[in-house]
Amino acid sequence: MNSRRTKFGAGAAALAASAMLLAACSGGGAADSGETTGTLDFYTNKAAWEPDFDELNGASEASVDISLNTTGYSDADQYDAFIKQSFRTSKSPGLFTWQTGSSLTELVDEGLIAETTDIWSNAVDEGWVTEDLRETYTVDGKQYCVPMNIAYWVMYYNTKIFEEQGIEVPTTWEELDAVAEKLTSAGVTPYYQTSTLFTFQWFQQMVAGTDPELYEGLSTGEVKYTDPEIVDIMNLWLEQQEAGWFSDAGSTVDPAVGLKQGDYAMINFGSFFNGSLDGAGMVSGEDYDMFVIPKTNADLERTPVAVESGPLCVAENSSQKALGLAYSEWWMSDEAQTAWSEARGDVAFNPKATVADPMLAELGSTVASDDYLVYDRYFEATPTPILTVALEQFGAFIANPGDPMPFLETIQAEADKYWADQE
Amino acid sequence: MASRGSQYQWSARGFIAPGVILVAVLLYLPLLWTTFLSFTEYNGLGDPDWIGLGNFAEMFEDPGFIGSLLNTLLWVVGTLLIPVGIGLALALLTWNLPGGVWLRVPFLIPYALSGIGVGLIWSFILSSNGALDQALGAFGITETPRWLVDAPLNTVVMIIAAAWQGVGVNALLFTIGLNSIPKEPLEAARVDGATGGRLFTSILWPMLRPLTAVVVGLSIVASLKTFDIVLSMTKGGPGRVSETLALTMYKETFVNSDYGLGSAIAVFLTIVTMIAAILYLREQLSKKHEI
Repeated sequence: MNSRRTKFGAGAAALAASAMLLAACSGGGAADSGETTGTLDFYTNKAAWEPDFDELNGASEASVDISLNTTGYSDADQYDAFIKQSFRTSKSPGLFTWQTGSSLTELVDEGLIAETTDIWSNAVDEGWVTEDLRETYTVDGKQYCVPMNIAYWVMYYNTKIFEEQGIEVPTTWEELDAVAEKLTSAGVTPYYQTSTLFTFQWFQQMVAGTDPELYEGLSTGEVKYTDPEIVDIMNLWLEQQEAGWFSDAGSTVDPAVGLKQGDYAMINFGSFFNGSLDGAGMVSGEDYDMFVIPKTNADLERTPVAVESGPLCVAENSSQKALGLAYSEWWMSDEAQTAWSEARGDVAFNPKATVADPMLAELGSTVASDDYLVYDRYFEATPTPILTVALEQFGAFIANPGDPMPFLETIQAEADKYWADQE
Repeated sequence: MASRGSQYQWSARGFIAPGVILVAVLLYLPLLWTTFLSFTEYNGLGDPDWIGLGNFAEMFEDPGFIGSLLNTLLWVVGTLLIPVGIGLALALLTWNLPGGVWLRVPFLIPYALSGIGVGLIWSFILSSNGALDQALGAFGITETPRWLVDAPLNTVVMIIAAAWQGVGVNALLFTIGLNSIPKEPLEAARVDGATGGRLFTSILWPMLRPLTAVVVGLSIVASLKTFDIVLSMTKGGPGRVSETLALTMYKETFVNSDYGLGSAIAVFLTIVTMIAAILYLREQLSKKHEI
């Protein structure tokens, strides 16, 4: 009898333990602790930048008594899924990196992101950010998140190749074409290209460089990918492909290494590429340099430059919401951005910050002048489902250049579906 | 008051409960949840919206999905012909051979690698101007195919890469099968004058059938879920020309955040795999094949 009672008790205990296990698995939001100093849990898909964030802890501890406990993911898709799942649990992050554009709007629409309008108002008053950049972070008139970084999409070139061929930095589209022709006839491939992921930049460059409104129209659905203006641009790209201006799309050589060893003379990339080139053993200003790509249409008043900006966001239901917002406020300051530029070696979004790399400092001040028009990079400007198809189709076009219509029609079919769902 | 018997039953249920709950939570619940999601539109945030068979209709209207389905079929056929076929040949040729084990061991080494690792190694070999192109160049062959760019060549070379990894383990399994064949019928056949092809078709092959059924069954299931090697070698591209169903499912779910469509593909893939496995194993293990 006793033994049976014991068995019954043990069975009941085992059942209770499983119930507790289930309870532990279930989630729920957590109340904001209200603390504004301490250790802030930070999640990012830029795992390689973890040491840079750690390096910044010295400055943030001294200034606002907050240090980051950084968890870096190296797979962007896995990271996105993790962040989305975390909103359903009590562990939603106090600070995390995300994307601007439709990805940000999606989170804001669900009420998952803490508003940062006050932080932005203060930063604009202090002269820490431009009004242009504020637009990128605005959803329905309110601001969300703060900019983690900013990168301008420019043309990097191998200075030795330019010197050997006696080439000057082009200032007009015609001059750029002449450079490409000269390089090709000298047996040097002018431009880098790839058929996976970064397949959009030349399309982006030529559409925005032809007409910024046309580019804007693609991101709002007012312009179709099959419109004659877009087809003409694709045909121009096809002519350039057929003239042998682009590198082998099937190559898996690292783009920075390819530029170093002269596989191609130029590469259209974001200004974060300095880090990769430095890592490949090239010296900024000596072995490589950059220029803003001239406008395709000479009649444009200003030269369009693609900008990409990745946000730092705070989850609305995080227990570290107050701490995350306090860090975000400090992050915008020139003090924080000077320290960040030193740690990361990137262009600063804050014009009052001191940029460590002279090449990047010059780029920042050049693009800030009235001669340039900054527009959102294709990656952020295009709604995700259309982007996915477009990246694949540009990749297929790059791998097998031919009549652009089938590629454009495939992208437009996805765009039609997407915009119909939005109505 | 409960009787002793019912008390005993209740305590037994208590002991079983943790296991049952874990199986339910970790296996049945995800299956049911994925099936539910396949009938909804869901971006991973907020609540799923019920759309009935909408995802399934969208799936079959998408030419990319059809291409992905055909690539997956190519993987199934290719995996049966190459890794299983070569594995069987290797087992037969080295079986009963003095030192045969040392001929099989090198084939087993790649099995220790992950699919992603195999993909990376073969990317170095097959990319434009990669190791293979350079080796061919040394023999004066400069006009080489674009191994990983043109379809269906890219799927074929990826099947070969997967075969490089899979041959060894199949050979090992077939060798175990050959070793388990009783000596008597073999000797009787030899006494009757059966050798070579005749011995294989009349004795070895029929007696290997239970093991062949398992090896082929496992290969069919493994090839239907081909994912890692394609992800690391071509990411399904250029465009979508080398995508497999598992990769399409992954892209729709985690890249496009279309959890509904991704789940619909998962449900389709599960049904296809189950039907293939059941039909094949039922046929192969049925009594009519008994010797």
